[in-house]
Amino acid sequence: MYRLGVGLVWLYRVTFGALFPTTCKYEPSCSQYAIDAVRKKGLVRGSLLAGWRLLRCNPWSHGGFDPVR
Amino acid sequence: MSVLSFILASPLTPLEHLARHVLNWLHFTVGLPWAWSIVALTVIVRMLLVPLTVKQIHSMQSLQRHAPQMKEIQKKYKQDKQKQNEELMKFYRENQINPAASCLPMLVQLPVFIGLYYSLKNFAKEPAALHPGNLSFLHFIPSIADHTTSHWGGFVLLVIYVGSQMASTLFMAATVDKLQRTLFMVMPLVFVFVIARFPAGLVLYWVTTNLWTVGQGLITRRLVPKTPAPSLFDKKSSRTPPKDEGDGGGNGAKPAPESPQPQPQPQAASTAPRKVRRKKKAGRR
Repeated sequence: MYRLGVGLVWLYRVTFGALFPTTCKYEPSCSQYAIDAVRKKGLVRGSLLAGWRLLRCNPWSHGGFDPVR
Repeated sequence: MSVLSFILASPLTPLEHLARHVLNWLHFTVGLPWAWSIVALTVIVRMLLVPLTVKQIHSMQSLQRHAPQMKEIQKKYKQDKQKQNEELMKFYRENQINPAASCLPMLVQLPVFIGLYYSLKNFAKEPAALHPGNLSFLHFIPSIADHTTSHWGGFVLLVIYVGSQMASTLFMAATVDKLQRTLFMVMPLVFVFVIARFPAGLVLYWVTTNLWTVGQGLITRRLVPKTPAPSLFDKKSSRTPPKDEGDGGGNGAKPAPESPQPQPQPQAASTAPRKVRRKKKAGRR
């Protein structure tokens, strides 16, 4: 099931992510974080974690090293 | 394929309806032609994003001020990309820099883009009576719903797109990494082939948003140095304590030789803006 999530992230990467180039302030980047999260925690919890990470990835946050725990 | 499009369509139709509603409002109520409604929609979206982008540009300028030190870190950990990133992040934290890049502002544009894409596709499918009025733009694009390359005007639009995308990259590429910057510059040349199949109106959205980015970059660049010089004031203000703590980390030792430079002149406040500008240029080269 997690393959669906990983596939969606890749779909984003090769389409919109490539069209609107941007770099992430976190390490690993948001999309890599989403892949790791879905792999480790499953589709539902992983997606929630990825969504929360995206919200944190705003101009007011400091970024930094933040892997899936 | 149809299953995939069905799965994708269900969450995306509300986006399409929303984009169409806004376009309809701009066309029927405000009275703009369809093409200009797209331009107006873009401008509205970008105006809503101004607080985010301004913050982003500020962080970018502080990044550029610290570029020499960051380059040193990059050199030091040349072999280990992961370690290099970690060290850079640490450096940001110690110096109270918010890395300029962040995913959220970009993602906000995603729903608009998707909504516009689907509503423009519908323009081509539905009977013309549902969207009365002219679909052309400035006499050189006959229809914003057609494929961009279906008319010579589309090629002009594509050339403008490539130019504007490169210019906006120049302003907004939130990275000092040379390879990445070059990659971002070359990207539009590759993607022009993908975009050629999109409706012309979508390219119009793109060009408008790029031009907005360039304009915003130009304006903030003008305005920011006029405000009290951030680099000097930051060092003396209350923001210093966290930086001092970080000095023990090793990287923090580098900022020290930089601060004595401006000190020979006691009235730093008046001369400061010029200094900032010079430093920024040095960072960009």
